[in-house]
Amino acid sequence: MNDILTPRERFGLLVIDERPDRCNIMPLVTSHAATVKDMKLRDYYTNGENMARAQIAALEKYGHDAISIFSEVGIIAEAMGSVFEYPENDLPIQRVPALKKKKIDELTIPNPKTTARLPVYLEAIEYAYDALGDKVPILVYIPAPFTTGMMLSEPNEFLMQTIKEPVQIERILAKSLDAAIELCYHTIDAGGLPIIVDPLASSSVISPKAYKQYALPYERRLIDYLHRYDLDVILHICGETTPIVNLLPETHADLISIDRVSMSDTIEEISGKLRLIGNYDTSQLAFSSPDVITHEVTEMVRQSKNAAKGYIAATGCEVPTQAPAENLIAFVNAAKETGWYWV
Amino acid sequence: MFENIAPQKIDLRQWSTQFRLLEDTDIKQFKYYGNDEWGVYLSPPATFMVYGARELKKLKFDNSLSALRLWGFAFNESERLFRARQSGKHIVAAMGDLGTVPVITMSFPECVPFYPDCTWWTPFFNESTVLLDKASELGTPEGSCFVRSTLAAFHKMAYFPKPDILFASTGASCDDYSCIMQMVEDMGYELNWLEIPYRRHRKDYHVEERYTKTAHGFEYPERFETYLVDEYKRVWHKMKQLTGTDDTERLKQSINKNNRLRRLTHEIRELTHNANIAPYPGLEMMVIEFGNLYGYADIDEWLNILSMVKETILGRIEKGLGVLRPDAIPLAWVTPTADPLLLNIVEDLGGRVVATEYVINQALVEIDEEIDPFVALARSFMDASMIGSTEERIRNITTGVDSGKVAGVIISNMLGCSHCAMETRLIEEKLKRVPVLAIDVPGPLGITEQLRTRIAAFLEMLR
Repeated sequence: MNDILTPRERFGLLVIDERPDRCNIMPLVTSHAATVKDMKLRDYYTNGENMARAQIAALEKYGHDAISIFSEVGIIAEAMGSVFEYPENDLPIQRVPALKKKKIDELTIPNPKTTARLPVYLEAIEYAYDALGDKVPILVYIPAPFTTGMMLSEPNEFLMQTIKEPVQIERILAKSLDAAIELCYHTIDAGGLPIIVDPLASSSVISPKAYKQYALPYERRLIDYLHRYDLDVILHICGETTPIVNLLPETHADLISIDRVSMSDTIEEISGKLRLIGNYDTSQLAFSSPDVITHEVTEMVRQSKNAAKGYIAATGCEVPTQAPAENLIAFVNAAKETGWYWV
Repeated sequence: MFENIAPQKIDLRQWSTQFRLLEDTDIKQFKYYGNDEWGVYLSPPATFMVYGARELKKLKFDNSLSALRLWGFAFNESERLFRARQSGKHIVAAMGDLGTVPVITMSFPECVPFYPDCTWWTPFFNESTVLLDKASELGTPEGSCFVRSTLAAFHKMAYFPKPDILFASTGASCDDYSCIMQMVEDMGYELNWLEIPYRRHRKDYHVEERYTKTAHGFEYPERFETYLVDEYKRVWHKMKQLTGTDDTERLKQSINKNNRLRRLTHEIRELTHNANIAPYPGLEMMVIEFGNLYGYADIDEWLNILSMVKETILGRIEKGLGVLRPDAIPLAWVTPTADPLLLNIVEDLGGRVVATEYVINQALVEIDEEIDPFVALARSFMDASMIGSTEERIRNITTGVDSGKVAGVIISNMLGCSHCAMETRLIEEKLKRVPVLAIDVPGPLGITEQLRTRIAAFLEMLR
């Protein structure tokens, strides 16, 4: 089947509860895009034009349905004072969390136009939007307050504080929320659609109780802010989320991107309330063969494409940088073939 | 809200900043179809830019709450039509007649008329050739008008839902669009064709017949009324078949409601065009004039919006405030521009639109509520812009010129529109007592510095 709609038109129909020509296909092609352009990772995440050009090249090569502006979840924390190192061919590595050298009150809300690598994002959005914004949604991954909060702190200390010093945690999260809102504000003005990512709130990291107490309320406040704009908000939580699946509708997200959960159970539990995105195993993309991927993606899409509120075929997490191109192509082709709706 | 902010035109980023001042309750108070879940539409221009309307980055907008409401509502139309369908309403495509078929179809319960024709603005708002390229692929010649994007929209079914019924008006109408409608029919859509008669004047060689006049004083053979009544009754019959209802009282109610809309639009035009300082920008005024055709798929909410617009305008006039400089050069604009940016540019360079001929005069005429409703509709339609002579079409412009209200005229030609190609020279001829600038509106992203310079030179000359 040949596509009838552009990715922009396809996504536009999905978010108003209409069936597009086929399901949207949005594997989380983030820094993997650098490999498509034979670009050093550092050149990708420190230069907005590079990031956008790599994303466009990946889109042209694989034929998926979204640009993904993202490098790593420390981007806001860095702008608030956490120190990162930039390896030439790896993602930024955190060296000193901001709260190691600052008090909470000293954390300031960064200006995304001028601070740290936030301008890289804005430049990437504007470049991609000017190039393809009429045809393709420009998704911009914004770390949720809980994830940023942890990136501002020593992780273990932060997790201990969730038990022992809830007031301190709330203060950190409030600052992180304000910073996320500021980044969203500028992202929207540049033409990007914010998608909220909260990997450190997954059940692989924190308990459902901690999720409900600390992560969820701030996800919801950020999402409610975006709803003021009438935007359709994606929330992505990678890793294990089975224990919190039933809480996800309380975030007010419109679309939920999930990773290590049973899709059939999730469909049964929440597909009447949220559009689902997911959840192909990214290690398979890195290490398996096109034949296996074709088979498994076909099965995944067949099982999920009729989810009540809609479905986007995607990976559960970021596509690994080392994933072979032919595996990505197999993923997209299988999803296109199986995800067709129109007769 | 925003009452204390001085009126001005602001860009998308300034609107985003101003939008932050709104409380959630301010945003949620306005909704279409009364729906809380998806009917809220008060969004800043940035929202629609994020969803692909790229030209919004370049445009300037009025900074009032009424304008925010107006833009949010107009840009939400596509979603609104899909939501209408999801809520069980009938979607009625009215094509080519520009003004009358919606009045009839609104008489039927749960029926939402819209004009697929208006898709011609989409390539410009999106700065995109997606629809135009697809239309070419589907067989329209590149030399046809931008309205060919409608064909691509029918193919894609992503801009409006598949209509339950389609009415297509041809005859003394846009010839390019007649061809497009034929191609839509070739795709398998069942079109209900109506024919629009040419409003001809009495000539010696005509066989003897009775003539009458429209509200604007245009003469036409009286039998055209009977002819149009029959055409409109066919529309009625088809709608009756679709909905299973047949209540002409509702037609009278629909006429009454549409007259309210027409009166309100007329008042807003008069206030805006005659104020000392322009109280509302030309681009928003064009959106208002076109909303007059069908209320952007929710006439009740559109009426509420226009009431707010009128309040904004009255408030500004009372305070002697406006959005353009007091010495802006008064212009008439003939033929709606497909690229909205042109209206912004003309105002930025010192012009001000005080008279328009946007080919929809028929929708600005009140429909007689004292006579048979079908006859009343036929009579009001005989005032249509495009069905008579050029002289009649631009009569309100020539009146403006003669009274000294209009200092110059801008005609926007649509590339490929054969109607424009023929008529622009004629209009120029007939308006030769006033300077005229004819602009060939280029395709999306086609406005050049050269074009800006031409407009600037024209305005400088007028000054």
